[in-house]
Amino acid sequence: MNSSVILAEGQSNAALLTFLFYTLAVFGLAAVSNALLKSKSFLSEYFLGSRSLGVWAFALTFAATSSSGGSFTGFPSKIYMHGWVLALWIGSYMVVPICTMGLLGKRLNQVARISGSITVPDVIRDRFQSPAFGLLAVMLIVFFMSFNLVAQFKAGSLILNTLLLDVEPFQNSAETFGRFTEGITYLQGVDSQYLLCLLTFGVAVIVYTTYGGFHAVVWTDVLQGVVMIIGVLILLPLALSQVGGLEQATRQMANMTPPKNGTANLVRYGLSSTGRLVVPSGTWLQITDGEGDLPRLFRTAQEAVISESETQANDIKILEITTPEEIRRLTGGESAVEFFEGVNLVQPSMTPYAYGADAEQRGSYVTGPGPSPTDAVGFLPLSLAFSFFFMWAISGSGQPSNMVRLMAFRNTSTLRRAIFTVAIYYSAIYLSLVIIFCCARVLLPGMDAESDRIMPAMAVHLTTGAGMPWLAGLLVAAPFAAVMSTVDSFLLMISSALVRDIYQRNLNPQASEKTLRRMSYLCTLIVGTVAMVGAVNPPQFLQDIIVYVGSGLAACFLAPMVFALYWPRANLPGCMSGMLAGFGAHLSMYVAGAFVNESFFRPYRLLNFDPIIIGLCTSFLAVFVVTKMTPPPPRHLVEKYFHKQSSS
Amino acid sequence: MSSGESTEVDDAVYDPIFLNSRREALVIFSVWAVALVWAVPYCYFNGYSALSDSSSVETVWGIPSWVFWGIFAPWLIADIFTTWFCFCYMADDELGEAHEGADIAEDIAASTAAEAEGDDE
Repeated sequence: MNSSVILAEGQSNAALLTFLFYTLAVFGLAAVSNALLKSKSFLSEYFLGSRSLGVWAFALTFAATSSSGGSFTGFPSKIYMHGWVLALWIGSYMVVPICTMGLLGKRLNQVARISGSITVPDVIRDRFQSPAFGLLAVMLIVFFMSFNLVAQFKAGSLILNTLLLDVEPFQNSAETFGRFTEGITYLQGVDSQYLLCLLTFGVAVIVYTTYGGFHAVVWTDVLQGVVMIIGVLILLPLALSQVGGLEQATRQMANMTPPKNGTANLVRYGLSSTGRLVVPSGTWLQITDGEGDLPRLFRTAQEAVISESETQANDIKILEITTPEEIRRLTGGESAVEFFEGVNLVQPSMTPYAYGADAEQRGSYVTGPGPSPTDAVGFLPLSLAFSFFFMWAISGSGQPSNMVRLMAFRNTSTLRRAIFTVAIYYSAIYLSLVIIFCCARVLLPGMDAESDRIMPAMAVHLTTGAGMPWLAGLLVAAPFAAVMSTVDSFLLMISSALVRDIYQRNLNPQASEKTLRRMSYLCTLIVGTVAMVGAVNPPQFLQDIIVYVGSGLAACFLAPMVFALYWPRANLPGCMSGMLAGFGAHLSMYVAGAFVNESFFRPYRLLNFDPIIIGLCTSFLAVFVVTKMTPPPPRHLVEKYFHKQSSS
Repeated sequence: MSSGESTEVDDAVYDPIFLNSRREALVIFSVWAVALVWAVPYCYFNGYSALSDSSSVETVWGIPSWVFWGIFAPWLIADIFTTWFCFCYMADDELGEAHEGADIAEDIAASTAAEAEGDDE
């Protein structure tokens, strides 16, 4: 069954009500946060929550911000496409909480307190007493995060669109909205449903972030973190019961062979021989060769339109199911799918997966490196498995959005308990997601062409199967919550970089509290609005941009921050060159990819390692070598940040 | 990470929070390295070969055994270690009062000094 149809059947208005209730709760939290702003030092409260986060707030804001929309859209899609090997892909999350919070947390928080720093560039500038280094950090943050903000705005809007798809009031509103915007040149050609979702999502995030500041972001993160875990914990037992147990699911996956991708022509026949005919994406079609033989089973991967004057639509993307047991199940018995009447599928031209289709690669969904449509070495070869183990745990420590949270917790006891809480939280979320979407491979076959929608499709399928379709709205809110919590954090980071690091620290140190307050509100509003406008016609390669930004920030910031915090000998030239070297090495892998692989977003993999490994190694090496070659730092800085402070 | 300079100075002059944080960071990094050295090679040697036939997949509680012993079981051990680390090992250091505005005060003092120097010249 087409996933859109599934969504239509299950969601009704529950999704809309869930979304409205959720948005109201978020605005309520923003209002309470705004009240706090009036009683404390404005900038410290607005951008850092006055360093007062308790265990739950700190743990859940950290977890929710780190788990971007990718955790609930891209990750389930990958599990569905490549099977059990995704457990190894995400495996380093077993140590991610202790690494990302424990490696730098306590020391970074202390150093920020010593200098009175509010932002990450603040810490860097103060630690080395260098406005130039601070500005370099600001420029890199603004550069990377601006791209990411646009990408996340698009991700949020797409998820909201999926959430509200086929909800009638939403469709009517989108139609009306489309009529209003059709005269605007910039908006022409943009889908009105997407546009309405972008506007709704954008305005909601911008308003509550601008109005409430850091505390609003943190408290909404807590709400979003709770929504995420509830969603996963409801999905898990439903998936296991409907698939007949995990043993059954794994055995069926062992039998599976990857689908073939290709194109075919669709030719109308019978009653559909006149008039315009639309064959939706996700339509099941079959070719029966002869009696006794299994039919060939296909699913369309794009919408096909046959106009009144034509008899066929050519070169329509399709995929072919290749597992005999699945074909038997889907063409007969209780799980049989409905076939589209009125068109014949002719001249299919199919290509097997580059890895996983051969007999000697049997069981690719339950073994490594996992099936891949494009890579002959499979989805996760050994070198990439090492890279990802490195990437999640180590590069996660180098994200400025994580660092700023590490500056905000109240005391060491809070840090200790929060690390424990996030460890349990991640275990519950990620191990469950692997199991749930391995079950999805069995329960919802043929979704390879639209695997990004596997999360909502699975939510609707499971809740409908359990007789509770109203629950789907709540479950689909989880990925939406994840994106929202990431966007608000990035928005505030860019805004703080502009107000604190550029305006106050470089242009007007004596700016009044009132001026800073106005500037902060204005900057958050403007940055958010610009990102929202950018997302009207966003660049392609959404997920690739997010990966590029995440790994790029780590390559720039991790080594300088580690040395700055833990090496008294670290000096300005060393750490600054480490930041530039990390940026350059990482970027050069992408630029090389543009020449070698003909796409900037297919980076060159030196020795088959991900660019993040190259960037981090170069950065660490550069800091160490340049520091050793240059004079030690001023003594007063070493004493200030590394020596015991006098009791006075 | 110790430095050439740090060996010249007795650890007694260093801030105990810095020393504790550095010690804890080294332990955490070691745990990450152990997790890496166990999980990736174990999964590679036990899970990266095709099945002789589809019924030959070995499972533990429905999970392929290489995933169970390579990822799920170590994950549980990592959680137990994290619990011990957080509640038994990590020092409960006093992080001190935040010097709010100290950096801005330094900026203002520096710019005032620079202006005064300019006037003198």
